[in-house]
Amino acid sequence: MAHFHLVQLYPNLMNLYGDRGNLLCLQKRLEWYGHDSSIENINPGDSLDFEHIDLLFMGGGSEREQELVLQDLASKRDSLMKAVEEGLPVLCICGAYQLLGEYYRSHEGKEMQGLGLFSFFTQGLKERLTGNILIHTTLNGVEESVVGFENHGGRTYFIDKRLQPFGSVIKGFGNNGEDKKEGIRYKNLLGSYLHGPLLPKNPQVADFFIKAMAERKGFRIERILDDSLENYAHEQVKRKLMG
Amino acid sequence: MKNLRLTLAIIAGKVLIYMSRLLGHQGTSLPGQIARKIYPRILRTLSANIRREIVAITGTNGKTTTSNMLAEILQQQGYSLVHNRLGANMLSGITTAFIEKSDIYGSRKFDYALLEIDEATVPLLLRETRPRLVLITNFFRDQLDRYGEMDHTIKLIQEAVKDQEIEMLLNADDPLTANFQAETGLKCWYYGFDDSSYDNCRVMDSREVRYCAFCGHQLEYEKYHYAQLGQYSCPQCHSRNPERDFTGHELEMSPDIELKVDGMALKSPCQGFHNAYNILAAVSLARLLGVEDENTKKAIASFKPQAGRMEVFFINGKRVVLVLVKNPAALNQTLASLIYDPGRKNLFFALNDNAADGRDISWIWDADVELLEYENVMIEQIVCSGQRSGDIALRFKYAGFPRERIKIETELPRAIELAVQGSVESSNILCSYTALFTCQRILMEMGKRSEAGEEKEKAYQPQS
Repeated sequence: MAHFHLVQLYPNLMNLYGDRGNLLCLQKRLEWYGHDSSIENINPGDSLDFEHIDLLFMGGGSEREQELVLQDLASKRDSLMKAVEEGLPVLCICGAYQLLGEYYRSHEGKEMQGLGLFSFFTQGLKERLTGNILIHTTLNGVEESVVGFENHGGRTYFIDKRLQPFGSVIKGFGNNGEDKKEGIRYKNLLGSYLHGPLLPKNPQVADFFIKAMAERKGFRIERILDDSLENYAHEQVKRKLMG
Repeated sequence: MKNLRLTLAIIAGKVLIYMSRLLGHQGTSLPGQIARKIYPRILRTLSANIRREIVAITGTNGKTTTSNMLAEILQQQGYSLVHNRLGANMLSGITTAFIEKSDIYGSRKFDYALLEIDEATVPLLLRETRPRLVLITNFFRDQLDRYGEMDHTIKLIQEAVKDQEIEMLLNADDPLTANFQAETGLKCWYYGFDDSSYDNCRVMDSREVRYCAFCGHQLEYEKYHYAQLGQYSCPQCHSRNPERDFTGHELEMSPDIELKVDGMALKSPCQGFHNAYNILAAVSLARLLGVEDENTKKAIASFKPQAGRMEVFFINGKRVVLVLVKNPAALNQTLASLIYDPGRKNLFFALNDNAADGRDISWIWDADVELLEYENVMIEQIVCSGQRSGDIALRFKYAGFPRERIKIETELPRAIELAVQGSVESSNILCSYTALFTCQRILMEMGKRSEAGEEKEKAYQPQS
């Protein structure tokens, strides 16, 4: 039995629309795989030791909340990027995803610097992109469908065209409602607009993180879980979207 | 005829109320809406017919139940009243309530108007009517509020009541109303609970952090009575709960509520700490309006919760409780009430995602479903139904409920049938808004059938 240390960044500020459910999901699945885990909450001002964490999670938040965490996060930027380069599993949803880019421009024209880990930007508009969403992605060599609920005013555009999205949009809006791209994928980091929360109804994405975490500890996950309920819930949303 | 347009508006409203009822709708908003188009001053005019007081009741949770309780109390005391009792709490719904009671000339007088009003609509209500008392039950944030709308709404209410001839009745255990007196200069009465055996000191992960209304610092809680309501203090500016004018004490929930309000003993068939708050609020308001204790006690004892607000049916010897759950707070309070129920039970949850339910159902993950220690609450099975049966099933699975006892049945009648089967003593039927009335109808039919069955059985018993 291994122990996994999961970190939630700024749970009081960055946690929208049930995003915390992603961690509950990982924790339970780890338990079912026969492992043990803990969740550490990091608030502004707390120090973060990237050496001893297995996964980093940050959920969505409003512009106001993003501004509040940005200063704290900026001090951790370089060590975060180094950890991402080394393959740290990271999940950033909605506002947290936007923070990874170069800047966010609000619909009033106010510009807020991002962490600049990746070369993209987000343009806020008053009209929000809301609804169920279906995307396709490839995880561990297998094509998978992913479902969720998006609710964002920001439109995200890749400046560096080599950036890889998390998936391609089949139904819904994704990054900007124009280029059919959804989220960002880099090594074991996923940025995505998908709430829902993302992981419970998409067990293959949850297991993508769990496998990556285990691999970094030098072992493989062999057990297969009963995902009949997960798949049922997944298909239910898919049917709803595809009619 | 003094005012033809007014009469026309009232008649149109009354016809629309009648027609929509014929069509089986509750007819609560549309008639008022149309009447307001015909005669925009209709609410001002009709609300001037109130002889004693207009009382406005607002807040996030409990406003319908509290205002219905108060209506019972005032009727027990023999007062006539106008009341939007069906919970249509925008201006159009309130206008409908006045039209329904009015004569066609708009001149019939009433003692009281009890107006349940949506929080964000309070400023608009105050432009058209003159309430003397405003009760705020509580301000609960939910996931829809992460963009700061609640703070904005509170400010708007404070600005709207300021400098008016209004007294406020507020929840002393809710830190979000602590600064009303300072901000508005109005007379503010406070009600709240003394320590009870149901308090807890545990902080749940998803319990939202509360900040001091005066200085913005994070509050410290000594005790939580229920959700975020409790005894708190601010480590920075040292503010704490306002002093209470009305105190609820000696609370017992077994599971029906018994409590005292400043020594007056009350019994109620309602359940759950949230209902204890509703009773305390209604009783405090009744005291402010000078109602006799005997009438208050009688009304509270006979008050039965409405559709979806813990309505009880008896089916095949089982107690079946129907509850509307529409946000994390409502789900938390329903689950918390299960903890006090020692019997074996089934749980049912129909979750839809139509516009009226909210298209985004992720709020089920913001509720503390982990609150239930599943080995102790004696839940035999959980039946999941509705358009998002899969999501609610997953929520319980990831909260630690055993997979093999989670059943999915999307068809409501069959799903409810499943939930009232077996040897359990009770079933808890939870549903989102658009499943509520269907579930209620199914349960009523099952209740009738079960009653008829029992009578048949009795008739066949051999005479001795």
